[in-house]
Amino acid sequence: MAKAALVDMTKCMGCRGCQVACKAWNGNSGEETEFNGSYENPPELSASTWTRIEFYELERGWFFRKHQCVHCTDASCVEVCPTAAMHKEGEFVEVNKDTCIGCGYCALACPFDAVHREPPLGIARKCWFCLDRVQAGIEPACVKTCPTDALIFGERDDILKKAHARLDLLTSNGHPRAQIYGEHELGGLHWIYILDGYPSDFGLPESPRLATNSIVGQWIGGLIAAGVIAAVPFWLLFRRKRRLHEDEEFTRTGGER
Amino acid sequence: MMVWGPPIWIYLWLAGMAGGAYFAAYLVNRFSRGTQEPLLRMATYLAVPTAMIGVLLLIVDLGKPLRFWRLLTEFDNIGSAMWLGTWFLLAFVASAVIMIILWNGARYVVTKEARLSLARIADIISGIGALFAVLVIAYTGVLLASSNQPLWSATYLVPALFVTSAVSTGIAFVIVTALVGDSRAVSSRLISRLAEADALVILIELVMLVVYAVWLGASHMEGAAQGLRLLVAGSMAPTFWVGVVALAILIPLILDISNWGKEIRQRGSATWLAIMTSSVAVMIGGLLLRFAVVRGGQLVV
Repeated sequence: MAKAALVDMTKCMGCRGCQVACKAWNGNSGEETEFNGSYENPPELSASTWTRIEFYELERGWFFRKHQCVHCTDASCVEVCPTAAMHKEGEFVEVNKDTCIGCGYCALACPFDAVHREPPLGIARKCWFCLDRVQAGIEPACVKTCPTDALIFGERDDILKKAHARLDLLTSNGHPRAQIYGEHELGGLHWIYILDGYPSDFGLPESPRLATNSIVGQWIGGLIAAGVIAAVPFWLLFRRKRRLHEDEEFTRTGGER
Repeated sequence: MMVWGPPIWIYLWLAGMAGGAYFAAYLVNRFSRGTQEPLLRMATYLAVPTAMIGVLLLIVDLGKPLRFWRLLTEFDNIGSAMWLGTWFLLAFVASAVIMIILWNGARYVVTKEARLSLARIADIISGIGALFAVLVIAYTGVLLASSNQPLWSATYLVPALFVTSAVSTGIAFVIVTALVGDSRAVSSRLISRLAEADALVILIELVMLVVYAVWLGASHMEGAAQGLRLLVAGSMAPTFWVGVVALAILIPLILDISNWGKEIRQRGSATWLAIMTSSVAVMIGGLLLRFAVVRGGQLVV
């Protein structure tokens, strides 16, 4: 049975205990940052910051969104990785630290900006769903530490049931825009959000796509262009009719054959 | 977040130019029934070091440069554009190197039959090389297009645009080398004809660029329209208008068309200067196109 976690942003109070728990459990160092006008800190996910709470000040209030790898079923990072270092471990997406060459392709393919490659490690790093804990039957570090139960871990089916129950409660209690994100996106995410608003309000793509879903057409486009170029300028200008003439030229200029 | 910096856009430019020069020279030689082999040889000699410098930049850009060999030993995700590109590049450079060995080896072969069969093998390999040259220049675009950066993936035109630019810069590279080196292998008549071919390729590139821009503007993909604005009116606009539109397209197009059919009488003549300027502009413009697309793509969030 597939596991998943629920991220109920309507229960999050922005304490960022999850960020600290993540760093502590995974041995990631802190980052030196500067005040940039917001209490968000660090300013972005990075190779050593795998989750962070984003702050969104909208007209109707102040909202949070937990940002981390959402462990897509159809994962772009896995699709583009040239060495298959980015791979599926059951339903989760993990980086093989020994075979990653640090090309950065996964970081550019990810629709959620969740994969990062920075010095000094040089390899792709991201949330790995605390696989060591999950495989031992315990919840991820961030879920464990969450004081408001905004984060819940469990079987994906149960998580979805809980999400729908919560959604019903929210919509019938003055949150008409509340919605679930991640149930169907990219074959189903394994971090499922409850958002009080549109995904784009919280920096999430409305319709995330697999990076490679147009790849056949892209190849064909490139090859057609090459064919057109071969046919139009080159065939038109250099085809055989010039043969005799060019032969003369050729001999005159001292080519060898 | 800037993941791919200068090494990558310079590499995409170099790989495109190497493959484009070879592909163009191969087509010229093929369509003129093998009478332009010196041109093919020159393009082959240019392609190998150019592609190798590009590969070196690519390796340097890796987070773990010393693990680059894993690209060649891992076979678990062979659909990855980067994996395919690595092999296409290897096959292209290998074909070129084998051809160079065969061409030079022919000198040490005594019998005429053996020389002929070496030439025939080189000829077959030149065709294989052309196939891989096309795949290499197409891959430089597919690499970007299979991502989640809207400027790269919102349309189907980035590979096509890169292919046209690769051939255009490739021809320019050959022309500049021939003009600077005062090459005897490439006649002045052939140089004029190559400049005419480049003008037609640039015309195709112009059409591609316009369709690409319109497509971006019309795309429903989040960030596509924003990417277009960044290119034509945002922080990448100077690069786009001066670098891509003027240097890569308009200036060479005007110069090449106004010199259409004219002969290069001597080094430094007006036509010589025009074709030289046009080709240098094409090369710089090609680099700036890679810069605008690679950097611009990563600026859109």
